[in-house]
Amino acid sequence: MSTYARQTAQARNVALPSSLEEAVAALAAMPTAVPVAGGTDLMASVNAGLLRPAGLVGLGRINETRGWQYADGAALLGAGLTHARMGRPDFAALIPALAAAARAAGPPQIRNAGTLGGNIVTAAPTGDALPVLAALEASVLLAGPQGNRELPVSHLLTGMDPLRPGELLAYVRVPLLHAPQTFLKATGRTGPGRATASVALVLDPARRGVRCAVGAVAPVPLRPLEAERWVASLIDWDGQRTLAPEACTAFGEYVAGACIPDPLPGEDGTPAPELPPAAIQLRRTVAALARRALGRALA
Amino acid sequence: MTGPDAATATPAVGTPVATEKTDAATHGLGVSLPPTDALAKAQGTYPYAADLWAEGLLWAAVLRSPHPHARIVSVDTTEAAAMPGVRAVVTHDDVPGDATHGRRVADRPVFAGDTVRHHGEAIAAIAADHPDTARLAAAAIQVEYEVLEPVTDPERAFSAEPLHPDGNLIRHIPLRFGDPDAVGEVVVEGLYRVGRQDPAPIGAEAGLAVPRPDGGVELYVASTDPHTDRDLAAACFGLEPDRVKVVVTGVPGAMGDREDSGVQIPLGLLALKTGCPVKFVATREESFLSHSHRHPTLLRYRHHADAEGRLVKVEAQVLLDAGAYADTSSDALAAAVAFAAGPYVVPHVFVEGWAVRTNNPPSGHVRGEGAMQVCAAYEGQMDKLAAKLGLDPAEIRMRNVMATGDLLPTGQSVTCPAPVGELLKAVRDADLPPLPVDDDESQWLLPGGPEGAGEPGAVRRGVGYALGMVHMLGAEGTDEVSTATVRIHDGQATVICAAVETGQGFTTLARQIVQEVLGVEEVRVLPSDTDQPPAGASARGRHTWVSGGAVERAAKMVRTQLLQPLAAKFGMSVELLTIADGKITSYDGVLSTTVEEELAGKELWATAQCRPHPTDELDDTGQGDAFVGLAFCAVRAVVDVDIELGSVRVVEMAVAQDVGRVLNPRQLAVRIEAGVTQGVGMALMEDLRAPRGIVKRPTLTGYSLPTALDAPDVRIVKLVEERDVVAPFGAKAVSAVPVVVSPAAVAAAVRAATGRPVSRLPIRPQHAVAKPQQV
Repeated sequence: MSTYARQTAQARNVALPSSLEEAVAALAAMPTAVPVAGGTDLMASVNAGLLRPAGLVGLGRINETRGWQYADGAALLGAGLTHARMGRPDFAALIPALAAAARAAGPPQIRNAGTLGGNIVTAAPTGDALPVLAALEASVLLAGPQGNRELPVSHLLTGMDPLRPGELLAYVRVPLLHAPQTFLKATGRTGPGRATASVALVLDPARRGVRCAVGAVAPVPLRPLEAERWVASLIDWDGQRTLAPEACTAFGEYVAGACIPDPLPGEDGTPAPELPPAAIQLRRTVAALARRALGRALA
Repeated sequence: MTGPDAATATPAVGTPVATEKTDAATHGLGVSLPPTDALAKAQGTYPYAADLWAEGLLWAAVLRSPHPHARIVSVDTTEAAAMPGVRAVVTHDDVPGDATHGRRVADRPVFAGDTVRHHGEAIAAIAADHPDTARLAAAAIQVEYEVLEPVTDPERAFSAEPLHPDGNLIRHIPLRFGDPDAVGEVVVEGLYRVGRQDPAPIGAEAGLAVPRPDGGVELYVASTDPHTDRDLAAACFGLEPDRVKVVVTGVPGAMGDREDSGVQIPLGLLALKTGCPVKFVATREESFLSHSHRHPTLLRYRHHADAEGRLVKVEAQVLLDAGAYADTSSDALAAAVAFAAGPYVVPHVFVEGWAVRTNNPPSGHVRGEGAMQVCAAYEGQMDKLAAKLGLDPAEIRMRNVMATGDLLPTGQSVTCPAPVGELLKAVRDADLPPLPVDDDESQWLLPGGPEGAGEPGAVRRGVGYALGMVHMLGAEGTDEVSTATVRIHDGQATVICAAVETGQGFTTLARQIVQEVLGVEEVRVLPSDTDQPPAGASARGRHTWVSGGAVERAAKMVRTQLLQPLAAKFGMSVELLTIADGKITSYDGVLSTTVEEELAGKELWATAQCRPHPTDELDDTGQGDAFVGLAFCAVRAVVDVDIELGSVRVVEMAVAQDVGRVLNPRQLAVRIEAGVTQGVGMALMEDLRAPRGIVKRPTLTGYSLPTALDAPDVRIVKLVEERDVVAPFGAKAVSAVPVVVSPAAVAAAVRAATGRPVSRLPIRPQHAVAKPQQV
């Protein structure tokens, strides 16, 4: 749309590799270049003048990362999978929560362009796929000049083990749980919008676990581990897997309290300040989302 | 009113409003003539201002202040000017004419001189041979600021140090009407806040300036008021107005004034300085920072009523945050004060209204200004009264509605049709939208959207009513005049009028008027520029009234010129001849000829003016006949609220509106739908946040506009066609009043659904969450 953007692109170095190997090589040849997939965040920054990449490595022609395959009871998702693709029914049968997150991620134009890999690498606090991947305990496969490596997605998101120079996100390994999963997002409006809070919840009957992650309330998705263990212990895994509504409500409160904790008292003994109204509202939102997410997963 | 069915439109079903025309009619008044540019706009080939091009053009960029309030110690442009490709740099010192300008008061500098008064205020402009060069050069200008404490709370503006040589109080109206000691049996009080809505035109500001060989300059901009813009620009350039020409190019949406100071004055200065054409296209961020917003408003109300719910006295304080410069704040304040009690009969009204200067983003004309903010407050008060008296919200309104002949609190008597009760009755009696009980649960569109977290069990439905009014045309003695020329030649007609087509449909209306009067089907409306006589701003529905009136008069003059010789020849008066489909016939059918034959190659021209009756300024007690005409509207909102998450979905907006006469049914329906949608945006999501004067997230991601999913079903349940005798065709302007009333109606419905007071617009989720015990 902007006249500026069009003219900017002409003057720059652009590589359009057609395989992962070529992409890694292109990035090694142009270390200052920035890889671009859907470009829904990157190009907006370029247009706004916040980013002036010396070169671009376009990932749109790499077909091998645009689909998915099965590997040892897990799905190996290409980083170039678009949100639109993940939202389709065949994918939803595989990983329902990720499909729900993909369908909720912005307007159709964004979903058609934005990719799973982009969502992870951008690591925006409101990234809709992130709490789902955290709840699924997914891992990412990185391709780099020194070979490939695999690490938990949370290590990448928290910056514990960041992308190294020249590395590309190639695949995401997601365990297939064959059990209900939910993703719920509060935006405050009916049309597409960024999450004020989101909750992803998956059941793992094989390990008798409930895993939950809360997005958008912190820079990275939060896992309320104690709440997960507590609620998993209440569920009759061999029976109907039902839970009393009061337990769902308590779970919601437990999750919300864990993710938006009470302020600590001062070190000099001053009493803890009160939670500001915005945080109380956020806590209520997370509690409602977590309660509904659990209720729907067990329904 | 004749033919009740004739005034009922249900666009949802797709049946256009039938008026006097038969279904077969394809042109003239009362027909849904499609706009000529609709196809080009739909296909993306319509040229907007941002598409302009000239050989050898330079690109402009503007340096804007990152601070809301600062003293400028120094501006060093040497480094920027020395960059290769940079052709000119202009700052405060390079303005040859008036250093300040403004629509009402010349208080806004072209470029900030020694003081910055709002975030994003222009400090310098650059022309360079490439847009990136221009932007980099703008960033290379060294400005030394001494940052000052911003005044961002309008209540603090009274006591703060003056932010401007003109002082911080832009206008104060103390309205006194009736007996100050009157008291009612029931009293309710309320404090209301209205946020900062941005007009958010879908195309950002853009323009092209081309220097003329005579030392003048032509400005190709999407102006909505070309003559005023030309005069302002010429004064700043130090040129006679006739050396500056403003040519209106495709306007990509206008909810207020467009392309004022921020675009055309720097552009013109750069073109004059370089001698080259200069183009500027604002980024979305710049657009949000520089143009005028709706006045954020703080309102305190006290309503007195008797035990039956009849209003006795309304006391109000209205505080408008005008931002850094006056702009049209005095007009907004006049409307806010005059309509502070709403379309109700109130014997005693006391309003203190202030518009004050702050370091917040600038406020100005956005349709329904002033009237919208007070509507949110007085309708909130009516709901409070209803709750206190145990009355139905529609019933308490019905007991107080105004009618023709009643007095406004300004002492002006309402002489135009004011069918407020009829409007309210129409929305009250309309069927409610059905609950989705039998539908598949997965198909429900719940608050939060199709992939949202909405849960049917937590959703409550609420119904709310609001009534409101807005004035048409400029108020308080503004000279509202328009001039139009009509020419007929070769069996077709041409209209020349400087009234700007902003998408409101003026060109379509002008074609319909000429078709009606002259009976020719082919009518062209020429583009507007300032070589044509002035037609005024495209605002407050004035073009339907004054420019439409001028076109009609000019067309009638042409008609007389055309028919006079024929009439004389056959010894009958002109009135006995009719023109239809290009044929002239006499009442008895003896005479039959065609327009083309009668013209015999001649061209006929006529120019006419339309100037409505004059108005007075409000005096020092807020009294005076300040308004030419009023338009009224009633809205019933039906909302679904997820009372745990506070997400709101507007299910349906039922609208009954006082339109005078339907001139183009489809266009009318579209204008109402657009107005309602803008009002829903104001009610639920649109608020440009500027904590401490710094605009946060000035992008369309950060500033939510209603999407198709947020937009409600708009059901036009009744269009009351009571002709306003002083208006041309008896028609009233239709666009602004739905914007005024819709936010109040949504707030009332959310109140009904949640039991919360809802005194703040837009309604944030935390204010639409039911109290825990109610869950």
